[in-house]
Amino acid sequence: MIDRSYKELLKLGRFPHTWCPGCGIGAVLKNVAMAMKELGWNNQNTSVVSGIGCSGRMAGYMNLDAVHTPHGRALTAAEAIKTVRPDLNVVVLSGDGDLGAIGGNHLLHTSRRNPDITVFCNDNEIYGLTGGQAGPTTPKGTKTVTSPRGEHYQPLRLNRILTTQAPYFYARTTVYHLNHFKTCIREALLWKGFSFVDIISDCIELNGRRLGFKTAHQMFKWFEERFHIAEGVRDHLKDDELGIAKKEVEAEVKVEVEVEQIPEVQIEGLKLFALEELKQFDGTEGRPIYIGYKGKVYDISASPLFQGEKRMRCHIAGKDLTRDIEIAPHGEELLFKFPVVGRLKE
Amino acid sequence: MKQLLSGNEAIFQGAIRAGATYFAGYPITPSSEILQQAAALAEENPGFRFLQAEDEIAAAIGIISASLAGAKSFTATSGPGFSLMQEALGWGHAVEAPCVFVNSMRVGPSTGMPTQPAQSDLLQIKGGSAGDYYPIAFYPNSVEESFRLTVTAFNAAEESLSPVILLVDALLSHLYEMADLDAIEVAVVPRTKDPLGRSQRLFTGTAHDRMGNVKTNDPEAYRDWLNDLKERHLQAADKYPLYEYIPRKDSETLLIAFGITSRIISSLKERFSIFRPIRIFPVLEKELQEITRPYRHIIVVEGNDGQYASWTECAIHRKVMRVPCLGGGFKFQWIQSQIEERLKEGK
Repeated sequence: MIDRSYKELLKLGRFPHTWCPGCGIGAVLKNVAMAMKELGWNNQNTSVVSGIGCSGRMAGYMNLDAVHTPHGRALTAAEAIKTVRPDLNVVVLSGDGDLGAIGGNHLLHTSRRNPDITVFCNDNEIYGLTGGQAGPTTPKGTKTVTSPRGEHYQPLRLNRILTTQAPYFYARTTVYHLNHFKTCIREALLWKGFSFVDIISDCIELNGRRLGFKTAHQMFKWFEERFHIAEGVRDHLKDDELGIAKKEVEAEVKVEVEVEQIPEVQIEGLKLFALEELKQFDGTEGRPIYIGYKGKVYDISASPLFQGEKRMRCHIAGKDLTRDIEIAPHGEELLFKFPVVGRLKE
Repeated sequence: MKQLLSGNEAIFQGAIRAGATYFAGYPITPSSEILQQAAALAEENPGFRFLQAEDEIAAAIGIISASLAGAKSFTATSGPGFSLMQEALGWGHAVEAPCVFVNSMRVGPSTGMPTQPAQSDLLQIKGGSAGDYYPIAFYPNSVEESFRLTVTAFNAAEESLSPVILLVDALLSHLYEMADLDAIEVAVVPRTKDPLGRSQRLFTGTAHDRMGNVKTNDPEAYRDWLNDLKERHLQAADKYPLYEYIPRKDSETLLIAFGITSRIISSLKERFSIFRPIRIFPVLEKELQEITRPYRHIIVVEGNDGQYASWTECAIHRKVMRVPCLGGGFKFQWIQSQIEERLKEGK
């Protein structure tokens, strides 16, 4: 018998829902609910967030605490909720226009910050709710109400955008390839970090009919022609492949930095300088230039910066420069190439 | 202990005193110091969460979502950033999320004169987002008061279940004054709204009834819902009828000023009565009507082209005279000469 217990996660009292017959969103909602039910996610540990559009209405049909954000802001909201409540599972149910166009900036930056949220993008390649305008994922050449002679521009390639930096989880599937679809949903929900499932879905009423399809089923057949399932886990997906591209955090390659050994200089036998004595060695009248640093006296006459000068820009010869060098932009290593000629009196 | 504090520091301290645990923001002068303090605190204290968002839109959406998730949250910005936050401000009212927006104002419109001070975002508190909403806004004029009012803003947010706005002058943000914040006793209203993950509620910006059912073509349900919101906001605002009134018996003229201008003209209290609204919105109608009644002349001195003056005119049904200090020019001598001129001309 088919397990229908996932229906606990749906607000059946609000049905019939708002979507057209043949729409793919119903399949998305149902399969997400089924996967959540299997994993034991319920209204005590899960929250859903959605944006605006046909797919934005999904959150309202879930029997969970749901947040329905302004257009494009679902990811930001989900991230903030996850930050404040790490104990909650946060799921975003939204569409391609919402996530890719108006929320594009948030998609870039939320995925970069990698919060532990799962995003289901109902990618129907059109703005459905507003009447079938070209969207960010509409393929080039597609006729829509805002591109009557065919869309001029290349579509946004979410697979490329979302797989630039590890860790990432990007899955592409369609509402037609049901078993693959279920696997992707489950894997995405279980992924620790930002996971994105790009669900190619159909909009028969406002996109399909204009393209010449008579029924939703014809659109599904078209998906079968356009896409094929790529076996195994990949790093990247080609534009016609369905599958999962994922990568864990790259182990940080440790670059071995050679630490320069600070030369140990025996200073016991060297001459003792009082600060008063040191003052004479400021380079005037042919005397060498000495400076004090951490109890040692260095002869820096050879320094091009002090050549024949009593002072360079910041440092004065014949003084204890320990404090100066602490706050200087360069380190102490500059001094170590000069000979030590004595030690400072305490 | 008395400390030398800037307005931005006092505001941040106030938010922490009020129990804020989430900050999201985007850098913008003159409010960036609040963002920096939040970042520093988040490094020290894992209980305090911080997000440097990609833009002000994300920052504002972030604090409202954090508020729904159960944290007292706030953000800080300036005029241009506040313009981007308008969408979220409307949403915050619709989903009833208590949070605080700090707006440290600079000259507008658009980028304006970065970063000369102005008081020109008054209309933006009320009129920037779509539809009708009734925000509460406060306006301090000293470092210590900005601390108190930040706590008040958080309290009003909890009581009205909505975003509350704290308007600050850019001058006050960067003004250092002595203040003893530890000695200030403030009452803090705790969070009463249930956080996410407890039931089956829907928080939506779409019009909905009390059960959270979306109602997109039911005027009756919409009216009920909006009136509920309005009533709750006005009730919460009524708890804070904050203003300062310095009467001068022999004066026929009342000066109205708020924020930094009220301090600049404070030496004129020897000659004129001065009224300073602290709750800047909803407008203090009753108080304004009562106080302005005996005066022949009313002059509103403000850092914009008559925004509060027109609200005052609506409230008291009388013409008022205006002294707009535009482009960051808050010079006492200039303001004084303008007041004299207005009084001579009688308009």
